[in-house]
Amino acid sequence: MSTATRSRLNRPGPVPTALTYLWLGVAAVVLLFPVLLTVVGGFLPSSALLHQPPRLFGGDWTLDNYAEAWNQPVVPLAPAFANSLFVGLVIMAGHLVTSCLAGYALVFLRTPLRTPLFWLFLATIMVPYESIVVPNALFVRSLGLGDNRLSLVLPFLANGFGVFLLRQAFQQFPRELREAAVIDGCGHLRFLFTILLPSCRPALTALAVWSFLQGWNMYFWPLIIASGDNSMNTLQSAVFALKNNEGASPAVLLAGISITLIPTLLLVVFGQRWLVRGFTAGAVK
Amino acid sequence: MLTRPDPPTGRPGKPGGGRSHRVREALLGLLLLTPGLVGLGVFVVFPLFQAVYLSTRDNDILGNPTRSVGLAHFAELLTPEFGALLARTFLFTALVVVPGVLLPLAIAAPLTQKLPGMRIFRTAFALPFAYSASAASVVWLIMLNPGTSPVNWLLGLVGVQAPSWTSDPGWALVTVAAVTVWSVSGFNLLVLAAGLAQVDEDVLEAARIDGATGPRQFVSIVLPMISPSLFFAVVTTTLTALQALGQVHIMTDGGPNGSTSTLVYSIFDRAFHNNNSDYGLASAQGLVLLVVGVLLAAVQFGVLERRVHYR
Amino acid sequence: MRTQARHRSPRTGRISTSLRRVTAGVALGLAAASTAACGAATTGASSATTQQLTAPPASALDGKGEVQVTFWHAMGGKNGEALQRLTDQFNQRNQGRIKVTLQYKNNYDDTLSAYKTALNSGQAPDLVQVYDIGTRFMIDSGSTVPVQSFVDVDKADISDIQPNIAGYYTVDNTLYSMPFNTSMPLLYINRTAFVEAGLDPDKPPRTLDEITAAARKLTVRDANGNITRYGFGTALYGWFVEQWTALAGQEFCDQGNGRDGRATKVNLATDEHVKQLEWWQRMTEEGLALKFNSDTAESDNAFTSGKTAMTLESTGSLGGFLANAEGKFEVGTGFYPKADASHGGGPIIGGASLWIVGKGKDDAHKRAAWEFTRFLATPDAQATWHTATGYFPISKSALDTDLDKQWRAQRPQFDTAIKQLESTALTKATQGCALGVMPQARKAEESAMQAAVHQGTDPRQALQDAEKSLDSAIKDYNQSVGG
Repeated sequence: MSTATRSRLNRPGPVPTALTYLWLGVAAVVLLFPVLLTVVGGFLPSSALLHQPPRLFGGDWTLDNYAEAWNQPVVPLAPAFANSLFVGLVIMAGHLVTSCLAGYALVFLRTPLRTPLFWLFLATIMVPYESIVVPNALFVRSLGLGDNRLSLVLPFLANGFGVFLLRQAFQQFPRELREAAVIDGCGHLRFLFTILLPSCRPALTALAVWSFLQGWNMYFWPLIIASGDNSMNTLQSAVFALKNNEGASPAVLLAGISITLIPTLLLVVFGQRWLVRGFTAGAVK
Repeated sequence: MLTRPDPPTGRPGKPGGGRSHRVREALLGLLLLTPGLVGLGVFVVFPLFQAVYLSTRDNDILGNPTRSVGLAHFAELLTPEFGALLARTFLFTALVVVPGVLLPLAIAAPLTQKLPGMRIFRTAFALPFAYSASAASVVWLIMLNPGTSPVNWLLGLVGVQAPSWTSDPGWALVTVAAVTVWSVSGFNLLVLAAGLAQVDEDVLEAARIDGATGPRQFVSIVLPMISPSLFFAVVTTTLTALQALGQVHIMTDGGPNGSTSTLVYSIFDRAFHNNNSDYGLASAQGLVLLVVGVLLAAVQFGVLERRVHYR
Repeated sequence: MRTQARHRSPRTGRISTSLRRVTAGVALGLAAASTAACGAATTGASSATTQQLTAPPASALDGKGEVQVTFWHAMGGKNGEALQRLTDQFNQRNQGRIKVTLQYKNNYDDTLSAYKTALNSGQAPDLVQVYDIGTRFMIDSGSTVPVQSFVDVDKADISDIQPNIAGYYTVDNTLYSMPFNTSMPLLYINRTAFVEAGLDPDKPPRTLDEITAAARKLTVRDANGNITRYGFGTALYGWFVEQWTALAGQEFCDQGNGRDGRATKVNLATDEHVKQLEWWQRMTEEGLALKFNSDTAESDNAFTSGKTAMTLESTGSLGGFLANAEGKFEVGTGFYPKADASHGGGPIIGGASLWIVGKGKDDAHKRAAWEFTRFLATPDAQATWHTATGYFPISKSALDTDLDKQWRAQRPQFDTAIKQLESTALTKATQGCALGVMPQARKAEESAMQAAVHQGTDPRQALQDAEKSLDSAIKDYNQSVGG
């Protein structure tokens, strides 16, 4: 690290610059080879991958693996895509709605018990999801939702972190503006939707991105709730099922994984700024 | 991060509202809190009590709770085996957090220089972030497959006999941790690069004139300035490591010989895996996880956060 | 997961068509009302285990219109497609009488876990496919009607079912479920490498010592001393050790492999197992065998990539091996190797079987599920199944159909499996262990294998540790089912 550090801080001369590139180049080769393997491997015949080292270059490229990964009936990827989107979006909507309403009640209304209630919200952040996954699974299964997608999201519609984040954001709202609005006879809900929320857009974006990715990346819950129903897979549990599907060649597996990565790859390449804000907003405050 | 909620200082609904008005406002407030409270109450608070109940019960072969066993499930946790499981969980967390933050830092630091190509590098290094734990695990399994591994091939070129990455009990935990490091590196890079971008050039310049050397300067001046980002990366990476399931499940399934079985994997295994439905023991382990989580949070916020300089 | 597609091949015989609707509509209403307890599947297994449900006669279907049967299975890919074709055929023949709907459940583990959940919520299917090692659990769940009961009611002739296959699913002399997809372990060899090494590919090794000897010739090192091809390499899969136990004529668990009563102990720390693990240790120490985890996908890839020249796998992997090795080398098969030349037993079959659900079901549904099960066991259906999937047919006469003969003519490697099955005597040992916690037992067994091969733990110590770790699981299980 010291080389890198020095070149960061001193005016870079030719030698430190070369070292910088060397270090970054080596790191890139090591860290990005799996990405290369994922993307390229999906286009190769499986014999190219059943070779040490994989013959990534110079072979015949093919789209067959993608076709097979998409069309194979064992772990259908289309519904998994739909489910992942559903899970991400519904959880995002759930967090936004519950957190906005709760945040408003905590900041702008003389709600009884608001201090203890706020601490209660905060306390729920401390509960690792896995410590209550057993009772939740038993409960949700007992609801008899069957293959209804709701069971994938039900336990995650409200979130203490969202309430915390929006409460912090709402507190930044200038007091005078709020009073002026009230004097103008602006009702609570109108104030919330027309004035407060638009002015808190950065915090809302942050929460939205964070919540969506929470849902998108879930593994444990879909695995046990979709158990045995492949129309209920999300992309994450589908990747597991795909790997488990004996007989799938590594090339088909890589093609399938590439398909599942498309949305997040796009997000990283084109939405980076957004992502950073989303993830750091809450914590850096 | 946990600012104290300010006392009901005001921000009154309507100046001088009457009694009935205040009642209405109070009711509205409670109404608005209801969705959040119900959601968290039903799916977080109530299940905690249920977990306590379940942890005192046996289960029949279909998983239904049966007779009370008192604290027997907790007694089962007072064994050397479970102690080893906890130690392994902490070791895994450390193996993920330390390199998972330092490696991206070592990459993010040079990226802030105004040199050609840095933006492309930054995007490229962020790519692992696109991988979920499960996708990363499957790709790395192919990378490390004993029969075809390009990694082993490369090591062979320089005369190193590669270990059995996922099947040697001495290596498996390290391997799973390394894959986790890889998959968190993209995100941590973005976070740390964002932090570094905000460091004032003038501050650095001044420090340089004072003659502080590079590394010392980095530790004494730059690190404190990006401490909020660092702290954030440490906290999120800790949670990722503590709750890791996909990597363990897909790469090693807790093996070989239990050497990658962590607390969360064990909960999954006891309750939902291999035709097990030992909900009682799994609930007891879940309560241990709760304690571990709270303790870790206390350490991080009570000790580490004091050193964080928020601007 | 690993247990997944392992066993292949099915079965049966002409289960009689005799009693078909002889007794017209007499039993009409009575039967339907008898089990109206649909949602009430509550208190679990303990109470239900002692009495087993019994089969309704053929007349149960009379006057019921088209009975809808739900079938949960774990057959993916081309196997699932073949199952769908068979189901369509059945539905067409039984229009207006029975309609079977398939529901694919990812894999065996998920199927069983979904089944447990469904029993508790009263949404169980009518027919469910369960892996071999779930047999004892299914019996104890008390939720199914033993196939034997239908056979008795129908006075059906099931002599066409391969006895070794039916044997696995027979406990206390009762055939509980109908075998379906069945497979056996084989030794696979890289014939091309054999020829290169001066070995006769038509005489694959028959014992572990012969494997060692062959592996010494097959292992290739480059100039730097790095091994470029290992003579042998296979997953540390517990199923393989269970096979050696059976070949040695020994029982894997007590109470006659759980066939005479509920097993209370798994015999892991036996001299036989110790010897096998020592062999495995020597093979890896000497650099003759590539080390693997317990996941067979990795060792399969290593074999088809040419990195290993011999491996152990189920008959079900033959198709994949042939496809992936095409153009690179020739695949050969041999009998599953014995741990010692003196051993006279045979391998255990594996795979999965079909269970007819009785709990919360009326007679018409039970009967309809049975009719479908019986159809899947006919020689024609089995020939279709065998040739489409590579599973072993459970029906003896399926092997005599033209379809099957043609298929085998193109895959002479499969004949090894048939000969192996035919030369195996059905004993308690080759029936395999029926144990409620068999999935956990296999995992423990694999832990011992991993400890010995990867950590260098003393095999006996590793096996004793594994055995001990199972004691409480077995005790808890037996206690919870009241036995």
